[in-house]
Amino acid sequence: MEGWDPNTKSTLTQIPLLTTKAGPRDGAAWTTRLKEEYKALIAYTQMNKSNDNDWFRISAANSEGTRWTGKCWYVHNLLKYEFDLQFDIPVTYPSTAPELELPQLDGKTQKMYRGGKICLTVHFKPLWAKNSPRFGIAHALCLGLAPWLAAEVPILVDSGMIKHKDDATSTSES
Amino acid sequence: MDAELLELQKQFESAQQAKSSIRLSERNVVELVQKLHELHIIDFDLLHTVSGKEYITPEQLRHEMVLEIKKLGRVSLIDLVDITGVDLYHVENQAHRVVSDDPNGLMLIQGEIISQSYWDNVAEEINERLQECSQISLAEIAASLNVGSEFVSSMLDARLGTLVKGRLEGGQLYTPAYVARVSAMVRGAARGVTVPTNLSALWGALQQLLQAMDGAGGVATESSFFQSLFNELVKEGEVLGSLRAGVHWTPTVFAIAQRECVDSFFSQNSFISYDSLQKLGISQPVQFLQSRYAEGIPLVTAFVHPSMIEMLDAAVEDAIERGSWIDSLSVLPTSFGSEDASKILLHCDSVQSALKGNKGMILGDSYVFSNGFIKDVYDRMEKEMEVFRLSGPSGVIPSDDSHLVTEAKIRIDSSRSGEVNETVNEKRKKKGKSSGSRTADIVIDDEEIIPMKSKKNQRKGKEASSALSDIKKGAKKDLAKMQEDDLNIPSEDWIMQKILILVPDFEEQGLEDLQTILGPLANHMRPMLINSLKEKRKMLFTENVVKMKHLLDNLQKKLDEVCTVMIAYDCQFIIYIQYFDILVIECYVQCAFLAFLNMQLYEKALDLFEDDQSTSVVLHRHLLRTMAASIGDMLFHNLDMRNKLKNGIKVEESPNSESITLGSAERTSLVKSFPGSLSKKALAVVEALEGKGQSRVVLMWLGVEGLDYTLLACNTSLVLSLSLSDVAGGSIHDFAQRGGRGEVVFGLVLKKLDKKLERTLLHSYRKDLTAQVSAETDPVALLPKVVSLLYIQVHSKALQAPGRAISVAVSRLKDKLDESAYKILTEYQTATVTLLSLVSASTGDEEDCTSDRILSKRELLENLMPALKGLVLGTTQS
Repeated sequence: MEGWDPNTKSTLTQIPLLTTKAGPRDGAAWTTRLKEEYKALIAYTQMNKSNDNDWFRISAANSEGTRWTGKCWYVHNLLKYEFDLQFDIPVTYPSTAPELELPQLDGKTQKMYRGGKICLTVHFKPLWAKNSPRFGIAHALCLGLAPWLAAEVPILVDSGMIKHKDDATSTSES
Repeated sequence: MDAELLELQKQFESAQQAKSSIRLSERNVVELVQKLHELHIIDFDLLHTVSGKEYITPEQLRHEMVLEIKKLGRVSLIDLVDITGVDLYHVENQAHRVVSDDPNGLMLIQGEIISQSYWDNVAEEINERLQECSQISLAEIAASLNVGSEFVSSMLDARLGTLVKGRLEGGQLYTPAYVARVSAMVRGAARGVTVPTNLSALWGALQQLLQAMDGAGGVATESSFFQSLFNELVKEGEVLGSLRAGVHWTPTVFAIAQRECVDSFFSQNSFISYDSLQKLGISQPVQFLQSRYAEGIPLVTAFVHPSMIEMLDAAVEDAIERGSWIDSLSVLPTSFGSEDASKILLHCDSVQSALKGNKGMILGDSYVFSNGFIKDVYDRMEKEMEVFRLSGPSGVIPSDDSHLVTEAKIRIDSSRSGEVNETVNEKRKKKGKSSGSRTADIVIDDEEIIPMKSKKNQRKGKEASSALSDIKKGAKKDLAKMQEDDLNIPSEDWIMQKILILVPDFEEQGLEDLQTILGPLANHMRPMLINSLKEKRKMLFTENVVKMKHLLDNLQKKLDEVCTVMIAYDCQFIIYIQYFDILVIECYVQCAFLAFLNMQLYEKALDLFEDDQSTSVVLHRHLLRTMAASIGDMLFHNLDMRNKLKNGIKVEESPNSESITLGSAERTSLVKSFPGSLSKKALAVVEALEGKGQSRVVLMWLGVEGLDYTLLACNTSLVLSLSLSDVAGGSIHDFAQRGGRGEVVFGLVLKKLDKKLERTLLHSYRKDLTAQVSAETDPVALLPKVVSLLYIQVHSKALQAPGRAISVAVSRLKDKLDESAYKILTEYQTATVTLLSLVSASTGDEEDCTSDRILSKRELLENLMPALKGLVLGTTQS
């Protein structure tokens, strides 16, 4: 688990692990799996809220629960930068981790694949593989997106690639 | 879609919608509090804890501190910092406030807040311990409590008698029982002490005692505790005495005894020595006595009552009036030293007045002499000095001294026995060596006691010679110094002896006192004596100088006849008028030289008789006996005179120094008086003069040796021995030859008679003889002179012929004279011979016809005289 900051680690260990190994095509097993996913997400969300560390909102975009959309944000220099978040559950899930997308930032940073899929650290994949199928969506957000935001947003802001929405409006107004 | 999933979806939705709790960072909180301060919403002080995570109000801090203090009774501020978690600065501030709020109950000491209740507890503890141990030292308590002992004592002071049942003494706590016990010990010890004691020593003893009683566990009691107990006892009057410097305890008993002792001694003896006071323990006797007896007089070692002075005064007055002397020590108690005596004498009225009135003087601290006495002694001493001067300074007692003198001298000698004799002997040994005529010391001692004239002379000679050499060495030194050396000033010892002899009173004093009394007296008189001696010497000296000059003049006159000859050589004899002694020497030289010349002159005449051995011998001997002897005598006499002059002895100048003829005995004695080796040589000469053989020549050497002795004292021995050995084997002729070769002997060039000199000499001689012959009236004496004159005329050689040789001499003239003249001569000669034989044959009988015959012969001779004279004088004229 080296390579992660201690906050992330402690948070990760508190997220409940999943047990069912099932993908979206596995029917009832998938439903079970989806239930576990929800429980984990609820626990993670509550944990974040109690720590005053709430940073995303997601919800299933279809009834099967294979597509998820929502928002995520990061506070830098007392300013809140908010981005759209969307991802699909791959067929090979849970062996394969879902690819998180931040379409608003597509083309603005190098740490991103085409289509706004974020590049995860080298540590992510082995860790995920090792813990499959116990890791779920909550884990992916915690391990993947949260560190990425913390690392990339300040750079993007400093380089001027992204602007706070107030600033953007003010500059647009002016 | 199953319901459970929906339910979960809803739950997730609601979870996401729920309001997240808001968390503030510490920094935000601190900023908030600051903001509140700024906005005066919080209008009181807030204190930080050390961790920085808490704020605390001062009231709360104080409250916590008070709680803590109440709980523990004694809390250090450091501990409070730990407990409250507030910075020490605030804790201290608050501690001050806490203590000032409750001044009676709390105190802040050395960073600790201590409550009174804590002290009460401590006091109780101490009390318990004290009752167990009967004494505790404050230092111990202070150490266990970690507070200053002063503070402990102040704390205990307040509780003594209430909480702590005991007594605080010199840093020790004691129980009353213990105090009572120790105080009893102190009282016992103090009462037991009867002599002045150093209390600390006493306390030391008591301490040891206590320790022995308490056993090994007993605590050492401070001596200050004893001291305070003792002071209390003294204050209460339980122990009597006086305390000096805190530690010197003098019990009243002792002080009383001491005072009584001093009083009784002083009143009985009217003096008391400081020694005895010191024995009684009075360390400053003078002050003590002066404070007690105001009228007394402090001396160096004793303190006296005026009555003592009165007594001494009376004695001294008596002595001065009687014109005598007194040893004040004999009047004063035996313990008095000479310093005391001198001091007390100054207090005597009579002494003061005597000193002022010049009636007496103090000598040697304790002796008072009246001036009359000293004058008397001095006069007598001066007379003594005359004798001393004459007899020489070596302590020989002149024969005209009284019997007493001799006796005293012997007595003193024997009393000083060995050492004096030894030194004297040593001295004499030295002298003996130089003179060589002495052998045994014993003999000398005998001689010393029985004065001998010859001996004296000898000594004189020696002195003189030594003085002589002194002068020679220190010729450059000034005259006074020379005199000083010469004088041999009488020593103190000598003066002392003399005084002793003159004033037999002193004898009674015993030997030891003799030194002390006579020493100063002699010291006092010595300069005066020396002065008078010097003056006299000076007088005599000048007198002698005149005499010496006179003497020399005479000598000169005597030598006048040759002086004409001598002038040629005078360059060698520069006369130093200032140094008359050298002048004398010069005269010697001249004499010797003259003699030598004459000798040579006469010797020439002897050549004529070389063929006739017997006559030659006779002539030879005659020459020596007449000429040489007279020269020798003259030398001896001069030498002697000179020695005497040197010694400052009066010399009766002989009216006519020409007529010095000495008998053999006289000669011997005179010679013996010469110093050292000179005397020896001179004796040899005298012997030679009377004896026979060639050693007579020594005579010549004597003259030279006399010079040598005075002139060349140092390096003559070699030359002398050389010449003497030569002389022993030589003869006059030999000697003359040696002289003639111009050898340098003792710096003099003895020149051979050269033609010119010979002629002059002969001329003068002839003139002399002619004058004598023409003046001569005695027919017998005329003959040799005429013969001599004839020899000069004929052979131009000076002949000195004795009567016996006259006939031979006359016969020798036979060839040289014409017939008539020779006849007159022979006739005259035979007539003279018959006359002389008649005279010698005559018995002095008046009836005898011989006298008639003598007369007739004499008449005949007298008749012949003009013819004879004419014979000689005529030829001279012609």
